[in-house]
Amino acid sequence: MRWQFSLWMVVPALAVATLPALAHHGWGGNASEEFEIVGTVEKGVSLAGAHATMKIRAEGQVWDITLAPGARTERAGLTEGIIPVGAQVTIHGHRNRDAKRYEIKTERVTWNGRTFNVYPDRK
Amino acid sequence: MAWLEGSALGHAMRSSGVWTYGLVNLTHILGVGSLFGAVLVLDLRLLGAWRSVPLAAITRPTVPVAAVGFLVAATSGVCLIATNATEYLGNPFLLVKFPAIAVGLANVVILTRLTAWKVRDVRELTSREQRQLAAAGAMSLLSWLTATTAGRLIGYW
Repeated sequence: MRWQFSLWMVVPALAVATLPALAHHGWGGNASEEFEIVGTVEKGVSLAGAHATMKIRAEGQVWDITLAPGARTERAGLTEGIIPVGAQVTIHGHRNRDAKRYEIKTERVTWNGRTFNVYPDRK
Repeated sequence: MAWLEGSALGHAMRSSGVWTYGLVNLTHILGVGSLFGAVLVLDLRLLGAWRSVPLAAITRPTVPVAAVGFLVAATSGVCLIATNATEYLGNPFLLVKFPAIAVGLANVVILTRLTAWKVRDVRELTSREQRQLAAAGAMSLLSWLTATTAGRLIGYW
């Protein structure tokens, strides 16, 4: 018996690679409505990783604030340590579609009268 | 994960500039690309493609490229995870990726112990031996494709 190579064996495996993807990269995992919340900084801005991040406390929850990639966040003036822990900030962006996840993909951070617009091309 | 994030490696990844993560990520992609590209060619040959090319002529370049690719991917991968390790707790794709890598590596151990693999440039393989290699090739392709797919999707969770 001869093992017959067939391209069709590869096709189902490749199909797995096209599974629809969720949040974090892109805006697909976030609600389309604009979302704004006021809170206090729990953990300051970190520019490390695929996206800059910070954590705020608001409405009795700790929220993960997903910012732009590090270099872009830095270009918007939002550098590590600029906003002190405990300061009041306003976060504008799009909330995670999953209501159980307290995560906001963020377009703008306002603190002390300054606005850091990490995605100025988005409204 | 907390230990990894708090390690010297984690600190170094977080405090060495905004482009570090991107460049390490690039290194990871180059490693994965080398590994998967080489494995794809080798596995398709094991599955019966390009029978006119001697198996030994395919294994000579693909095995070392895959091995180096794996080491580059594994090293850079540890750096990437260490950056924000605790963020990945509960990420289901991680729980698919690492078992898939384990299966892929176990398959390497099994494949390289097969008589068919050892005598590939010494004599013609019997059809039974060719089927054994094809099975190992199929398992390899499946495991590395799964690992790569799950790995790519980690960031989308």
